Amino acid sequence: MEQQDILLAVNEIFKEVLDNDQIVLSADTTADDIEEWDSLNHIQLVVAIEKHFKQRFTSTEIQQWKNVGEMCAAIQRRLQ
Amino acid sequence: MEKRGGNVRSHSTQTSIKKVKKGDIFRQQFRVSGEVYAGFIQLFKDKNPLHTDDDFAKARGFQGRVMHGNILNGFISYFIGECLPLKNVIIQTIKIQFVKPVYLDETLDFRAEVTDFFESVHTYEFSFYFSNAAGTKVARGNIQIGLLS
Repeated sequence: MEQQDILLAVNEIFKEVLDNDQIVLSADTTADDIEEWDSLNHIQLVVAIEKHFKQRFTSTEIQQWKNVGEMCAAIQRRLQ
Repeated sequence: MEKRGGNVRSHSTQTSIKKVKKGDIFRQQFRVSGEVYAGFIQLFKDKNPLHTDDDFAKARGFQGRVMHGNILNGFISYFIGECLPLKNVIIQTIKIQFVKPVYLDETLDFRAEVTDFFESVHTYEFSFYFSNAAGTKVARGNIQIGLLS
């Protein structure tokens, strides 16, 4: 799966979980860029992403993600 | 593996993770007593006749006053807060369907199974149901809880 396709899928998850159809993610997007992306919603996002891609991450892994691009890259590595 | 709620206290996430595992099943009994029913009405003021007027409820096909569905959410809160063998928990999501009416003084069997654990965010998912004395499921759903560090 190409990283752009992963980004599109993650974008849809963000819209659904954060209840905001206006969200447009890029690789550089961080929690600072999206008002609804707080610590509680972060949990829901990770759970939804893990379910969608049928992949599991560790707490150490997700703490290393600095932006959406790193999140998508980690998903892509798992899917390979 | 079936477990009944305990009262072991732990403030360590790692210790907590070991106490509850995917596949664990918990059971608890709850009674919709007059005290619970009256307390709910006193606190939340929902005196809709479906919940307070036997004749009104019977005219609509029920056996009598239907208990407020959200009393069951209170039981779930008790289960999560008091019956699990870990205390450092927070409810993140409850999804519940009320599929059959519950009446005053009914005793309900609650069954919850750990269906998933997300180590990355220290989050458990449970599926649950309440059944009445006849064994009929009256409500079912899912709960998501997080472990506080």
